[in-house]
Amino acid sequence: MKKLFLLTLAVCLVACWWITGSPVIAQAKTVKIGAIYPLTGGAAAAGRELKAGAELSAKIANNMMPGLDMDMAKNAGIKSLGGAKIKLIFKDHQANPTLGADLAKKLILDDKVDGMLGCYHSSVTKTVSAVCEQYGVPMINGTSTSPALTTRGFKWFWRTTPHDKWFTKDLFELLKGLTQGKVKGVKAVPEKEISNLASACEKTEWGSHVSSIIKSLAKEYGFNLRKSLLYTAKAPDLSSEVRSLKAARPDVMLFASYTSDAILLVKTLKAQKAKPKIIWGQDAGFEKPEFRSTLRDSIVGILTRTVFLPKVAQIKKVAGQVNALYKGKTGNDLGGASARAFTGVQTWVHILEKAGSTKPADIQRAANAIRIPGDQLVVPWAGIQFTPSGDELGQNVLGSGLIGQYQMVDGKLVLEIIYPFDVATADMIFPFKWF
Amino acid sequence: MEALSSALDFSDFPRLDMIIAGVLGGLLVIFPATPHSAFAMATMIQFLMFSLYGMGWNTIGGYGGQVDLGKAQYVGIGAFTTAVLMVRWDVPFWVSMPIGVCFAVIWSFIIGYPLFRLKGHYFAIATIATSLVLKDIFEVWDFVGAACGIEISPIKYNPPDFLHLIFKEDIYYYYVILGFFFLGILYVNWFRKSRLGFQLRSIKDNEEVAKSLGINVHWAKIKTYAIATSFVSVVGSFHACYIKNIEPEDTMSLDISILIALMAMLGGAGSLWGPIIGAGVLIPLKSYLKEWLGARAGLIGIDLIVYGAIIMLVSAVEPRGIWGIVEKVRRRKRN
Repeated sequence: MKKLFLLTLAVCLVACWWITGSPVIAQAKTVKIGAIYPLTGGAAAAGRELKAGAELSAKIANNMMPGLDMDMAKNAGIKSLGGAKIKLIFKDHQANPTLGADLAKKLILDDKVDGMLGCYHSSVTKTVSAVCEQYGVPMINGTSTSPALTTRGFKWFWRTTPHDKWFTKDLFELLKGLTQGKVKGVKAVPEKEISNLASACEKTEWGSHVSSIIKSLAKEYGFNLRKSLLYTAKAPDLSSEVRSLKAARPDVMLFASYTSDAILLVKTLKAQKAKPKIIWGQDAGFEKPEFRSTLRDSIVGILTRTVFLPKVAQIKKVAGQVNALYKGKTGNDLGGASARAFTGVQTWVHILEKAGSTKPADIQRAANAIRIPGDQLVVPWAGIQFTPSGDELGQNVLGSGLIGQYQMVDGKLVLEIIYPFDVATADMIFPFKWF
Repeated sequence: MEALSSALDFSDFPRLDMIIAGVLGGLLVIFPATPHSAFAMATMIQFLMFSLYGMGWNTIGGYGGQVDLGKAQYVGIGAFTTAVLMVRWDVPFWVSMPIGVCFAVIWSFIIGYPLFRLKGHYFAIATIATSLVLKDIFEVWDFVGAACGIEISPIKYNPPDFLHLIFKEDIYYYYVILGFFFLGILYVNWFRKSRLGFQLRSIKDNEEVAKSLGINVHWAKIKTYAIATSFVSVVGSFHACYIKNIEPEDTMSLDISILIALMAMLGGAGSLWGPIIGAGVLIPLKSYLKEWLGARAGLIGIDLIVYGAIIMLVSAVEPRGIWGIVEKVRRRKRN
């Protein structure tokens, strides 16, 4: 009887060990990542892109996809975590920093997420990252570009995207290149022809930072910034702002706008027959599918900075593969927002793989030591490596930007790469054909 | 002492009202001890904040009948005073908050004097204009961080820091704002029975008659406007410490002004409980509709439609708000 009891006990113990420790059960584990994006409101178009990009990345991470040339697609789930799946929990911040902070608390305390992703609007990223910092929850930011975000000394915040100082510098390098004859298809332009600038930026954290960077870089590169104004992205009418810009008679007009205001700005510029030689948008609204579909051929010649263009697929195989999947899912090509959201989730996967644990301290160590090679990414960067110390704590130092120009090719509106000069895919249209 | 006993005297309310208010007040006190989610806690803090905003608005808008749609400027003054003093000179919340109130009151006198020469819609439009102008000034004023605003760095303080009001857990914020909430109720209860409260109601009923009775109408409005301003400024200071990052576009937006007026009007302007009922209905409704319809059911944007429809429905049924419906039912029962 005693032997039977001991045997039963042993069987039970083995069964318990098998149940709790077996790979079958470990595979059922999920890693929860909270993703806070603007899913409604003025930036809802961007929110949809971000969500689709992040979802596609999670899908690739959770399933084996042998046709894709990236490590993430070779395993079904996080290998070092026994095949744990990535589960994204989406929340809508409506571009409201207060709401963003509340949602971050909900995700951390109620949903018990292992990490955070988001938030597109730099102002919201600021409040959400402050909550994460207080609770010691790791946050990867893939799409907010205000330089101030990585100067706060936060230890639980990492940013994959390059920030606006780099992007705006690219613009001034392009302008300088124009005067030196470096731009494909354009003879050297006399300096005085493009020396006068005017800028209009939306006035939250992101736009106001872009505005001040434009001011300082204009001075550094010797350009004359005749007008610099801030406007509210929710404004129903921007005619007085455009009149003010026109009155400055600039050669180059620079904008930092979200989707609805970018569309409104270009419509108003067209209505008022503005005649700049160059129009440049700091990504965001200027790159959204809605911007293209609403304004159609009137945007031919407009420049936008970005981190991803479908043309990247020509120089990067993996980008083409992922773009095909994304297009099949949404009907649109990957854009700057979706490609960076994709990369944000991908960075999470690599960090978790390296950490082999979901403990915040292990994730922190892994994030500070991670190096993702450029050939793994859809974006044309040299890779992802975060600064573990210094003034820009948690900033990816291997990122870079592109400047694209809307051009009509075979009756289709496409974004051609204009900068960097060595990867330009088409001749630049200069000057901008007036509306 | 007389003012205190007047503030504590609710005997003019029906016994049933007092029982319900007492039970709900008790529930508010014990709420953190009950099982709750972090989202519910954040919603409760928002409810208490907007109740206080609404109570302030109710003094001038409800009892005085002056529709003020510019309260966000005082949220901004309170929030920025606290944030600037804390970030630049490490001034504790309990010092910066009254300084913020002083600035807000001074500003209310400066703009209140010319503004109260206007009446009706003109006054409402003028309050919107002053609020937007002040927001524009803050957006280009580098001393207060301009359009980027100011961030109170959470890593600079060791929570719980009761002096600077920096906490990690929301329960501390909850009890601080709950304290202000009860003080606010007592103050408004005193105010409605005070000389100024009666003057204001007579102004609302008929300004010319009020003047003929010897009431200095202009001065009474300005004084009440300053009282309303103080409420909003205190909550603005609290908001700065709670959110830790404030920028004019968010803190001083027209949306905040409209929401403050909407809470009080929907709950029942001109009654003690109206703004609390308004905030108690609208804040959870907004938060949970978003959570249930927007996040869980994936019906993004539908929550806003349902929210708008409910506001329209209440306004159509009873323009005096939810408290108006309660009074209507009571009158019917009496008859």
